[in-house]
Amino acid sequence: MSKLQIITKGIIKENPTFVLILGMCPTIGVTSSAINGMGMGVATMVVLIMSNMVISMIKNVVPDKVRIPAFIVVIASFVTIIEMLMQAYMPSLYASLGVFIPLIVVNCIILGRAEAFASKNSVWDSALDGVGIGLGFTLSLTVIGAVREVLGSGAIFGYTFADGVMPLLFILAPGGFLVLGYLMVMFNKIAKR
Amino acid sequence: MVLVLMLISTITALLVALVNDLTKDAIAESNTQAKNVAKFAVLGTTDSEARIARDTTCTIGDFAITVSTVVRNDDQTVIGYAVEAPSITKSGYADRITLMVGFKEEGEDAIINAVEVLSQKETPGLGANMTKAGNSLERSIVAKNPAELTFAVSKEGGSFDALTGSTISSRAYANAVETAYAGYLWATGRLNTDIKAAETTTGSTVQNDSNLM
Amino acid sequence: MMNILIGENISAEVLDGFATGSVTVQSITLVAIIIGAIFVNNVVLSQFLGICPFLGVSSKVETSLGMGMAVTFVMALSSVVTWCLQTYVLNPFGIGYMQTIAFILVIAALVQMVEIVLKKVSPALYQALGIFLPLITTNCAVLGVAIIAIQKDFDLLTGVVYSVAAALGFALALVLFAGIRERLEVEDVPQAMRGVPIALITAGLLAMAFMGFANVVPLP
Repeated sequence: MSKLQIITKGIIKENPTFVLILGMCPTIGVTSSAINGMGMGVATMVVLIMSNMVISMIKNVVPDKVRIPAFIVVIASFVTIIEMLMQAYMPSLYASLGVFIPLIVVNCIILGRAEAFASKNSVWDSALDGVGIGLGFTLSLTVIGAVREVLGSGAIFGYTFADGVMPLLFILAPGGFLVLGYLMVMFNKIAKR
Repeated sequence: MVLVLMLISTITALLVALVNDLTKDAIAESNTQAKNVAKFAVLGTTDSEARIARDTTCTIGDFAITVSTVVRNDDQTVIGYAVEAPSITKSGYADRITLMVGFKEEGEDAIINAVEVLSQKETPGLGANMTKAGNSLERSIVAKNPAELTFAVSKEGGSFDALTGSTISSRAYANAVETAYAGYLWATGRLNTDIKAAETTTGSTVQNDSNLM
Repeated sequence: MMNILIGENISAEVLDGFATGSVTVQSITLVAIIIGAIFVNNVVLSQFLGICPFLGVSSKVETSLGMGMAVTFVMALSSVVTWCLQTYVLNPFGIGYMQTIAFILVIAALVQMVEIVLKKVSPALYQALGIFLPLITTNCAVLGVAIIAIQKDFDLLTGVVYSVAAALGFALALVLFAGIRERLEVEDVPQAMRGVPIALITAGLLAMAFMGFANVVPLP
């Protein structure tokens, strides 16, 4: 697989949301607006790139039996460290992305990629995989967020274009499931042809 | 096998502790700074034309309510009071909400000048909308006399127009404003109750009070 | 001009806080906590936790029942352990920032231990629950509920009751969902909608039904 392919596969062929079905909890939880989806996507991408690299580095040291707990601990520490650093040195960025960071710990996308890719590949390739999957995740979350925002609050990226009563359902829990379901149908129709 | 896991846990725990140690002060610093900016912002001023004459903190259980007296730099007149208060008796959807509420005085009456959200962990897109400028909660109380407010959401007969789909977050917001108002009355010696809450004051109180006259 | 008494509108609870220097949080009955955690704030359908196993292990009622029971068992245990960990280790040493890491490690270890003990003590139960146990380590609902129970300042009993109720809510959603999916199997679903998409749409409708429980009880 060429280096470029590792990156591009995450966007369509192995799209984490629509194809791999990973990280569903934050996908539905935070995509009530396009900007939130994008924020979560970017925060996840950063963590994913770094955790993939670390996992790839320690893959030969960790015995198979304790692999999962060890990976989870590494990821959780990572997320905590990133949160602290951001809070200390980039407070304005933290103000906008901060709420998503603790949620990343419980995002199975990170562990999923650690298991499926980083524990078998080189550090550099694992970083690229993080970029690709992260991009795919960011794109999907932004699209889902945009659709829910348009339908549920008559706005896009915070810019309101329709006033009046909008079907709030779309920013609430059921709307998350419904929009993701229908978008997946469309993705299957278009991308898998 | 267990040994390796122990080793990894120990190393990561040490790393986290190290980073925590390194960043602790910077985080506290940036939090204080953000609070200071908010203190001036809720009174419609900046630190170039005003200063904090006095901080009075009231401790209730695990919560602290800080009332800052903000005075103009040039003539030392009181611009107003910035009160930092959590929602002490009601939690939001995820956690308690902390607000900075600016009170200005017009003769006998007080008015709420502005509100800023200092910390909240509400749902993005719903309860978290309380941080947006001009949200319905803030709009429904700004420029009003807090003595005339009813601290509940409008569908429960209160003065606060709840955020769409976020009644619980809105109730906590109303509770934080109520606490802030109580704190403001307390600091200005008008809260009608026997006070046992612990009090600490920083800032040169006596001197400033005479300056204010 | 109306004559307004200053501070008249401040509630007794807030005044009480200033008067006594401590806040008495209104206690919520255990029944309200149970109903709230199972129906109103269902972990899957309104808190967005544990969606992966919800989609993954819900094709048959029987397996989903097994998964539900395994999760309930682990959550009950982990709520006790995490509560003790928080109260006797993290809080006294002031290392609250280690919470996530410590909890995750404890849950992972707990799951492994349950697996080993179950295998030795009750092979029958192990037969029933065994295959689900490794999946639970990565179930974010377990960690999520443990953290929520700490955040809400529950005491040990309330925390355990809340965790078990949340797990039962998870099991309920899972079993209901599996029942619907079993029916869907025999329906003629359009090609592009088969599998996860129709499952998500079904979950959306189920979540809508659960919204009807909103405001049934005061939330913890």
